[in-house]
Amino acid sequence: MGSFVAHRREFGRDQSRPELTRRELLAVSALGLIAGVPGLAHAAGPENRLTWGIHVSLAPTWFDPAETPGIITPFMILYAVHDALVKPMPGQPLAPCLAESFTAAEDGRSYEFVLRQGVKFHNGDPVIAEDVKFSFERYRGASHSLMQDRVAAIETPDPQHIRFNLKAPWPDFLTFYATATGAGWIVPKKYVEKVGDEGFKKSPIGAGPYKFVSFTPGVELVFEAFDQYWRKTPSVKQLIFKVVPEESTRLAALKDGEVDIVYSIRGELAEELRSTPGLTLKPVNPPAPFWLYFADQWDPKSPWHDERVRRAANLAIDRKTINEALTLGFSKLTNSLIPASFEFYWQPPPAVFDQAKARQLLAEAGYAGGFDAGDYYCDSSYSNVGEAVLNNLQEVGIRSQLRPIERAAFLKGWGDKAYNNLIQCGSGAFGNAATRLGAFIVKGGTYVYGSYPDIDALAPQQAAELDHKRRAAILEKMQQLVHEKSVVAPIWQLAFINGAGPRVGESGFGLITDFAYTAPYEDITIKAA
Amino acid sequence: MKQYIGRRVGYSLLSLFLLSLTIFFFVRVTGDPAALLVEPGASPADIAAIHHQFGLDRPLWVQYGIFMASLFHGDLGQSFYYRMPVMGLYLSRLPNSLLLAVVAMGLSLLIGIPSGILAAVRVGRFWDSVGKLFALLGLSLPSFWVGLVLILVFSVYLGWLPSSGAGTPLHLIMPAFALGWYFAAAHMRLTRSSMLEVLGSEYVKLARIKGLPQSLVIAKHAFKNALIPVLTLAGINLVIMVNVAVVVETVFAWPGIGRLLYEGIAFRDFPVVQGVVIMGGAMIVTVNLLIDILYAVIDPRIRLER
Repeated sequence: MGSFVAHRREFGRDQSRPELTRRELLAVSALGLIAGVPGLAHAAGPENRLTWGIHVSLAPTWFDPAETPGIITPFMILYAVHDALVKPMPGQPLAPCLAESFTAAEDGRSYEFVLRQGVKFHNGDPVIAEDVKFSFERYRGASHSLMQDRVAAIETPDPQHIRFNLKAPWPDFLTFYATATGAGWIVPKKYVEKVGDEGFKKSPIGAGPYKFVSFTPGVELVFEAFDQYWRKTPSVKQLIFKVVPEESTRLAALKDGEVDIVYSIRGELAEELRSTPGLTLKPVNPPAPFWLYFADQWDPKSPWHDERVRRAANLAIDRKTINEALTLGFSKLTNSLIPASFEFYWQPPPAVFDQAKARQLLAEAGYAGGFDAGDYYCDSSYSNVGEAVLNNLQEVGIRSQLRPIERAAFLKGWGDKAYNNLIQCGSGAFGNAATRLGAFIVKGGTYVYGSYPDIDALAPQQAAELDHKRRAAILEKMQQLVHEKSVVAPIWQLAFINGAGPRVGESGFGLITDFAYTAPYEDITIKAA
Repeated sequence: MKQYIGRRVGYSLLSLFLLSLTIFFFVRVTGDPAALLVEPGASPADIAAIHHQFGLDRPLWVQYGIFMASLFHGDLGQSFYYRMPVMGLYLSRLPNSLLLAVVAMGLSLLIGIPSGILAAVRVGRFWDSVGKLFALLGLSLPSFWVGLVLILVFSVYLGWLPSSGAGTPLHLIMPAFALGWYFAAAHMRLTRSSMLEVLGSEYVKLARIKGLPQSLVIAKHAFKNALIPVLTLAGINLVIMVNVAVVVETVFAWPGIGRLLYEGIAFRDFPVVQGVVIMGGAMIVTVNLLIDILYAVIDPRIRLER
């Protein structure tokens, strides 16, 4: 352990330019000084700095909330640099942040926000209503057109008040504005107008707990604590996000103390992380369920047309064992294609593993000897899940061939409805039960190969229902029908497994429900020496 | 001579044009970048907006025309993922790749040439077998495996070297070794065969008959001549190293153009893939052109033959 600690210090020193030894300086000179030295920006001492090993390349577009795409990854940065009027926080899916309060009109046609007093951007400018209006109007990320179409006007009667007037009642306004998009994250109007969009991405200023210090594309990103952050002064002085794309290298970096927190460590490497003294496994469950879709169930000639066959497939899957083997038991077995934390979620009965019953159902359906089920399509990144499910199906006589397809091509084929037989689906999209059902179950959805009239008929009813309880009842009914008809065979809600090193006190993992990364950053701590 | 150079330049430009066509169309077969920028379940409007933003809603030939027109102005386009000019990204990563390639090449020559000479001088004996084994391992062990083993030993168990990133000379050691290992084996094999050829030549026999000591024969007469093909290969390999270090740069999180290409492929960042491939192609075509011209200058028969 002693040498381990000494080694940590060594790297901390190497990263800080003023502490380079003469020998190292000479060596760098001898090498021609043609490589960049990103460590120059590290001002805080290693004792008050935490370093992340990030699994994806950081993109400058993530510094600007206006360009937030429909994936969760940019929120890793937004939670550090920026702040929103209302956003998911520990224990609160819609926590007032820059807004101290918000109210919805009884007729559902307007939402009013009151800004918190005395909140400042990193450049000292106060956060005012005009910034909120400006941020919404310049937003061009996911669901941009949907929101622009539904918002009639934004009023700013005074610097502390903002009112969003809608063209028609829209019960999901807050779901989109405050959780599913970057539209509710506030940027300083004056500064953006001064530096322009490109300038803003190069040097972003926000109202979040950390100030932007430097960014080297593909290498690292450095933040420094903003001591005037309204919620609390962050405990850790400096955050460094290093991009380490290879999973084994990330784990090695965590083991030798080069980084303190790593994202995305899977399978056997996760097991190794768990068994390494000093390291802690940090699994979280983002809203990303996986399910098996019977694409041919609407074709009367297909075996999948028979509900008993679909139920047999459901009973054949040994979810518990697959979970233990692939995600160390951390994935959630919710038996639904809707994330458990989503608004209007209905909890189906637990999934049952009963292969004898599955064989019996197949026999009743006329497939006592099993049948050839054709291809099983999946995103190649998750072909290990596919192999396990396929083996289970094989055990009851449902014979299928795995067709792993590279992610982009798989998603295109799935959306283009180019597949048949079996499709292994998964989604981490934001929203609520209504948005998920709309995309995957109800007629007209992007990934809907066929639909059931009784479920389709309920979709417009729930969309027009302003009463929360009645809407919830309709959406629950829709989910019950999906379950009863075995439209899909849910697999699990995937665990995203991460790790933390011995210096980390509060890592921030799992504090915010459904959030895959560490946040809120101001809550993260380093253990006392 | 002018005609010869003109013809070679013409072939080079044609090669680059064909490369641009190939990479432009083939990269588009690999999938839709919009699919990777949204989660499954995103609205068609969002996907359409991304297509429009990236110009992917235009006909392919229009997109190609824009790409070529920009290329003539030295503009490789805007990265879909980084939303930054590809040329800027490329140039920011190039020094790192050059540094890695130069150091890896130095290591490969430092290992490959002496071991090749030793194997040739001791042909059929113990050191020759060791050299052959080294060459076999070097050429057959994949660089990602070598990289991971190095990380395991020198970062995790011994704690001597940082596992990833860039910034200090220590960061350079393992990626340079992992990259240079393969080339060291190639250089060893070439040095050995080249030395064997030279050692069997008449003038070396004469030197031995004259009674010159073995060390002098090897160092002064054989080695210098045997080195020519090795250095020629090393020159070409250096350019290749700059452009093919994708795996090594990814394993060690080394911020070079290999990793930029990996990111471009992973995110279907068409402009980045096109830009890196075109720049790499231009580099290789230019080196080949210069070699062709040099050969023609040195040996007039070449320019007369073609």
